[in-house]
Amino acid sequence: MLRSITSLAAALLLGALPAAAQTAAETAPPEAPFAKVSELVTLPDFLPGLGTLYVDPASLPAGPFLGYDHDGKLSATIYMTPIEDLQDGTAYDDLAVGSNTVTSVDVYYNAGHPGVEKPHVHVVLYHDAEAKARLAE
Amino acid sequence: MNRRTLIIRGAAVLLAARARPASAQAAPVLIEMKGSPRGERVAFVPSGVGVAPGTVVRFVNRDAGNSHTATTYHPDILDRPQRIPDAAQPWDSDLLLPEDAFEVTLTVPGVYDFYCVPHEHAGMVGRIVVGTPDDTGWQGPATDPGDLPDAALAAFAAVDVILAQGAVLPPGGDPT
Repeated sequence: MLRSITSLAAALLLGALPAAAQTAAETAPPEAPFAKVSELVTLPDFLPGLGTLYVDPASLPAGPFLGYDHDGKLSATIYMTPIEDLQDGTAYDDLAVGSNTVTSVDVYYNAGHPGVEKPHVHVVLYHDAEAKARLAE
Repeated sequence: MNRRTLIIRGAAVLLAARARPASAQAAPVLIEMKGSPRGERVAFVPSGVGVAPGTVVRFVNRDAGNSHTATTYHPDILDRPQRIPDAAQPWDSDLLLPEDAFEVTLTVPGVYDFYCVPHEHAGMVGRIVVGTPDDTGWQGPATDPGDLPDAALAAFAAVDVILAQGAVLPPGGDPT
């Protein structure tokens, strides 16, 4: 019974997330509306620490950004939240995730880059224990 | 070297051939665009440099995880305040991917302030001092802060320090 309740709760949670969260491909490329970040703005294909990124442009700046390793394996979901917007009261709630498996989370400051130019926070959800190492370079 | 770099180098060579005086055949002065591995800090290195009139300045993006520009403050480029000598031509590298390069030849004496378009709010600015105040036509630094963010205004090296040292690291040092 407990298992059933847990499964039901998980199903309800998934139901509350945007459709993109339930369809993020395990291997690149994810389906539209996700697009390769390096084709949207002038950035390298592979960003050390984040991987090859895909994002639904309508979700900018927060994302989720889907980070794939060099073999095209979904390895991380990343959010980018401008500090100025947070200070001004903007909240980023109910953001989708690329995978329901999260083994660790990194949160750190970023000075900006094309696409999200304001200084912002990177919130990186790694989807397996080796993901960070695969995305490092 | 990718096609973009080749194009930039080709254009730079043409510009240099037209503008560089015969007496200034030295290697370009290098300014690197750098960032910490996770992008917490970004900067031009050096952020302040003194050069002789006619010097070629070469910008190279050494940041593997980011794109950068070297863009002069000028009304003709993104309608920004003028912070280069009146007689100088404004320039903009456009976004450079890692290891891309851009070159410009500076002939008019005076102070040239420039910035990285996506990182101005993070204080990624630089200052080139061409010649000295004794040169004919010298024009000193802009004094009106205009619409520059505080982080940018705080990051310009003082002209006298640049002239004394030749090259100045950004506040906080090399970000890498």
